[in-house]
Amino acid sequence: MTVAFHGVSKIFGDGTVALDDFSLTFESGEFVVLLGPSGSGKTTACRILAGLEQATGGRVEVDGRDVTGLPPRDRNMSMVFQNYALYAHKSVYENIAYPLRVRGTARQDIDDKVRAVARLLQIEELLKRRPRQLSGGQAQRVAVARALVWQPAICLMDEPLSNLDAILRLQTRTEIKRLHAELGTTFVFVTHDQEEAMTLGTRIAVLNEGRLVQFAAPKEIYHHPSTRFVAEFIGRPAMNTLDGRVENGRFLCNGLSLPAPGQGDGPSVLGIRPEHIVLAPGSGAATFPFRLDVLELIEPDMLLFVTHDGLSMTVRGKADAADLKRGVELHLEFPPERLHFFDPESGRRRP
Amino acid sequence: MTRPWRMAALAALIAVLVIALTPYLWLFMTSIKTRIDALADAPVWAFTPTLEHYPKVFLDKGYLPLVFNSLIVASVTTALSLVIGVPAAYAFARYNFVGKEDLFFFFLTTRMAPPISVVVPMFLLFGYVGLIDTRTSLILAHTTFNLSLVVWMMRGFFDDIPREIDEAGQMDGHTRAGVFFRILLPLAAPGIAATAVLCFMLSWNEFLYAFILVAFEGRTLTVGIPGLVTPHGTLWGQVAAVAVVATLPIILFTFLVQRHLVRGLTFGAVKG
Repeated sequence: MTVAFHGVSKIFGDGTVALDDFSLTFESGEFVVLLGPSGSGKTTACRILAGLEQATGGRVEVDGRDVTGLPPRDRNMSMVFQNYALYAHKSVYENIAYPLRVRGTARQDIDDKVRAVARLLQIEELLKRRPRQLSGGQAQRVAVARALVWQPAICLMDEPLSNLDAILRLQTRTEIKRLHAELGTTFVFVTHDQEEAMTLGTRIAVLNEGRLVQFAAPKEIYHHPSTRFVAEFIGRPAMNTLDGRVENGRFLCNGLSLPAPGQGDGPSVLGIRPEHIVLAPGSGAATFPFRLDVLELIEPDMLLFVTHDGLSMTVRGKADAADLKRGVELHLEFPPERLHFFDPESGRRRP
Repeated sequence: MTRPWRMAALAALIAVLVIALTPYLWLFMTSIKTRIDALADAPVWAFTPTLEHYPKVFLDKGYLPLVFNSLIVASVTTALSLVIGVPAAYAFARYNFVGKEDLFFFFLTTRMAPPISVVVPMFLLFGYVGLIDTRTSLILAHTTFNLSLVVWMMRGFFDDIPREIDEAGQMDGHTRAGVFFRILLPLAAPGIAATAVLCFMLSWNEFLYAFILVAFEGRTLTVGIPGLVTPHGTLWGQVAAVAVVATLPIILFTFLVQRHLVRGLTFGAVKG
């Protein structure tokens, strides 16, 4: 099965452009994450795929068949909502059984399937309860069970973890990854959390202002961000970016001079991730002196906020140098293979 | 709760009960008192009960059909108001259309004019179409004011149901109509029950329209009671007997939907 967005756009009644010429193709069995800040159109894309929202332009195809105008019930997709959207007047069992009942599955089949999916999600002991008697994490599992019980072709998840507390969120994240590995169902997962995206996705579609910016595997997105936006959005703390210029194969900015092989002369943006900056033991040929402003410990790591001649940077390193005092001079090294260059105008990556 | 507070709460509860129940007990006692006991200067607490008033007013005076009229008018009004009003409220809660809020406000304005100002035009209109003194005319009249109540109350209940519930229903395989009938109506049941009770009571207790529009054949209980004020004095025993019977369906109806009513009147009942 192939799912394809072809130049899909969505303009709401008030003139808001939620999606702008959005194209994306993925195969069955994938775990596709739609990632972006709020207002980037990721939820709209998901809802258009579900049929809950009508595209104002473009087509959505499944296996070459145009499904753009189909109602949700004819799309063979299920959805997990951020607020779970369980039916308050039905028991957990009936909530999970409901999509089967609506589709006219035989009684015995329904029972078998409900119990199987309840076992899979470890909610067998909750089947008799009412939704109001469930904790957030339990309600979340029930919502996932309802979405998976009838084995739809695609399971859509719209920020399903956002209403959970931090610890539960991590557990559930792992759980969802396990489900994907065991079931092989295609998942489309909407989130604004880059960490969720990086851990869950087989491929991540990064959206910004209604447009697809990059669609690639997490590793590729991390190591070769296609734009400055992706570079700064992926990874925490965010990638350091410096506005400077390239002259004769070197990047210059406020007294920094770094090798920029193959880069043409002119204004340029340099990026380097905090975890890729090396804390050198002493001054050397390739090091630059920075002054320590703030130190944050996040064991076993530490974050150093450093300044140099009006430049501010974040460095992430092992916490073994944590006896550093504010104002001390540090020598930083920027490994050439870790440097990214972007066009200052378009934000595009320069090879 | 600490002990003094419990006692205070109990006292308050008893006070409320006394205030609420005393008139009703008084009414009931009057209905089983003789005329002499009922009109005694000092209230008579110990008396020989009599059941003479009930058969007299309902059988001899022919008030039994009035009970039937009241029941028909109130139930049909309630049903009609719900059948029209609930889908309308759903549309107001879920769809956007031009002039939506104006139309919604229009429903409220139907209750702004004092009833007395529209009852005469209504009388003339029903006269033209030959509906005067029929239960139909009263049902239609009562539906006009109950409809706004249903639309305003039920929109609140539908607004309280998250839209994601509709969408979950669609993903689970329903059409939008299917979502309305199979998911939203059951979820809104407490609200519908509460609204139904209010509709029924308003219609059942209504006097002005009934008094003007139905004088003889279609008379309801509320119109019947003034008929017991005679030139020879008010027949208090019979008035009380009719009043006791008139309160019974309301009490019965309220008990039937009580489970829903408490949840419905306190709102927020449908959030999962």
